[in-house]
Amino acid sequence: MVYYITLCRPIQAPSALTHFDSVKIFHLPALGFTFSGIFGIIVFILITARLPSPKGPHERTGAMTLPQNLKDLYHQLDIQFHRIPAVPRNLGVTALFLCAAYYASSILITHTGGENNSALVFVLAVALISLLTSGYAYGIAASIIGTLFINIYFMEPYDAFSLSRTGYPVAMLSMVAISCVICALTARVKKQATEAVRREKKAKALYEQNERLNAEKAAIQLQSERISIRESILRAVSHDLRTPLTSISGAVAVLLESPEVSQKNLAMLSDIKQDADSLIVMVENLLSVTRVQDGTMPLKKREEMLEEVAGDALLTTRRRFPNCHIAMDLSEDILYLPMDPLLVKQVIVNLLENAIRHSGDTEHITLHLYREDDWAVVEVRDRGRGLSPEVCQAVRAGQPMPRSLSGDSTRGMGIGLSVCQNIIKAHGGFFTADNHMDGGAVFRFGLPTV
Amino acid sequence: MSEKQTILIIEDERAISNFISRALAANDYRTIPAYTGKEGLSLFFSHGPDMVLLDLGLPDIDGLEILSQLRGLPREVPVIIISARDRESEKVRALDMGADDYVVKPFGVSELLARIRSTLRRAERLKLSQGIQRSVYQIKDLTIDLARHQVLLGEEEVHFTQNEFKIIELLAIHAGKVLTYDFILEHIWGPYGGTGSNQILRVNMANIRRKLKENPSEPKYIHTELGIGYRMLDD
Repeated sequence: MVYYITLCRPIQAPSALTHFDSVKIFHLPALGFTFSGIFGIIVFILITARLPSPKGPHERTGAMTLPQNLKDLYHQLDIQFHRIPAVPRNLGVTALFLCAAYYASSILITHTGGENNSALVFVLAVALISLLTSGYAYGIAASIIGTLFINIYFMEPYDAFSLSRTGYPVAMLSMVAISCVICALTARVKKQATEAVRREKKAKALYEQNERLNAEKAAIQLQSERISIRESILRAVSHDLRTPLTSISGAVAVLLESPEVSQKNLAMLSDIKQDADSLIVMVENLLSVTRVQDGTMPLKKREEMLEEVAGDALLTTRRRFPNCHIAMDLSEDILYLPMDPLLVKQVIVNLLENAIRHSGDTEHITLHLYREDDWAVVEVRDRGRGLSPEVCQAVRAGQPMPRSLSGDSTRGMGIGLSVCQNIIKAHGGFFTADNHMDGGAVFRFGLPTV
Repeated sequence: MSEKQTILIIEDERAISNFISRALAANDYRTIPAYTGKEGLSLFFSHGPDMVLLDLGLPDIDGLEILSQLRGLPREVPVIIISARDRESEKVRALDMGADDYVVKPFGVSELLARIRSTLRRAERLKLSQGIQRSVYQIKDLTIDLARHQVLLGEEEVHFTQNEFKIIELLAIHAGKVLTYDFILEHIWGPYGGTGSNQILRVNMANIRRKLKENPSEPKYIHTELGIGYRMLDD
């Protein structure tokens, strides 16, 4: 037994070996192609097996039709195929198809003899290669290699490169040319296809973005409509409540001045006046609390001088309680910070009124403004009876005031403090209530200066 | 003054109009009530009042529109605006359009009377001076000498920066009248001085206040109109 390894394609063993019983002929190129082909397939299988299978939208439940199944399979394969890095993938594809073409031609040549069917097989292989690889290079390389193969293995004289026969160079050149043209055409088609896919993706993304923007716009519109409805309701309510209260309070004020009213009626009138005035404050508080509480309405913030707001609050309070004494301490620093001035003024008015009405001290109330780190702090202090532990507790926990405060004698204190807390919270500030060591209550709130 | 001064009240809420009329009558003014804008304008032309109280929220014509019509006339009649609390921009616009003063609902009678008195007095003064500017202004113990560029608090001279003095000067010339932030900014820093922010004015004012030892809760010379502007007191 003899192994005969050759680069050529012998139809039979050379005569020198004929005296051996059996001769195994190994054809080196064929061997190489076979091994590289098998190697390529193994590499492909290994790589695809190692990659996690992509979970796509293709995993559908329910019955699948056969075409659907095949389509899915193709899709899966395509995805796996494209997960292999480009260079080994392209090289593998090229080797695989050249190999297949070689074998197909080998089989054909045993049936058809010297006819040139191999050229068509190789052109087909080149077309497939250029379809499955990226770029021109692999297709052109395959077409050149294919032409050489045909010349060497499938043309007379077999197993030798020869250009001596008439028509061979022309046939070879035309073969290369045809392959190149096919290659270029498929490359272009592929490019167009990828371009189309890219465009589709882009269009889809744009469409989705558009959808999202539309939804956002609708939401914003709804929100602003809601706000404007609330604004107009609040405005109507405040107008409808304020106007009659103004005229009640004004009319009573006129009557109080007039000489025709008897002494007995005068006392009643002044009660009416006081109640009307406190109703006016109450209405302001209720309106503010509805404005601030759920945070849907934005604060009307602007830069404002804190001392001017506090001064205005003090003037308002003095107008209502002309007999009490409140001292205001200015900060040396200029406290100029963003706030809703009407609401902050209301907080100060509430705190001052609270001190006047509930502390039992109307002589030593102080209003103190100062800067502490990044806070502009307002402190209202009295020398009265101080706060009950429940009130301190409720303020600290940010809870509504205890019910015991809504009794007649302390009317308005609960809601007043709740309003203060809500307004300050909406400004991002802090609000505290404590008893001073030297007696009396201290209410402090701070607004952020930055 | 032998003749009673006439005040036209353009206000659509009858209750408010009534009590204002009563209060003014008790203080020796003659009043003409008008309940719509049109009525107000025709009564203005037929009666020629000395002053107008104008509500901005009228049912038929916008209050600002009436104001601009009144301001287009050769005879300057002082106008006091009555407006709702939360409409600051409206007030500021009315003041910039030439309204003399404003009161905010809910307002008290004494406050309204004080504003009316002060505005009428100022109008009187303007008529007498015939546009000739005084050079020395006296507000309580504060003396502002424009010619000598000097401010005396009692006997003592207070030193101000150039801009601070200009602000005081402007407020003194218009003593009794509310000057809006924009008005002051434009007069002192020019038309583009206060674009977007009036911080520069507010800080200057805070410094003036400290130099005059003025507490905004007890204004002796300069009154702060929160969110609107400043007014130098004239009495």
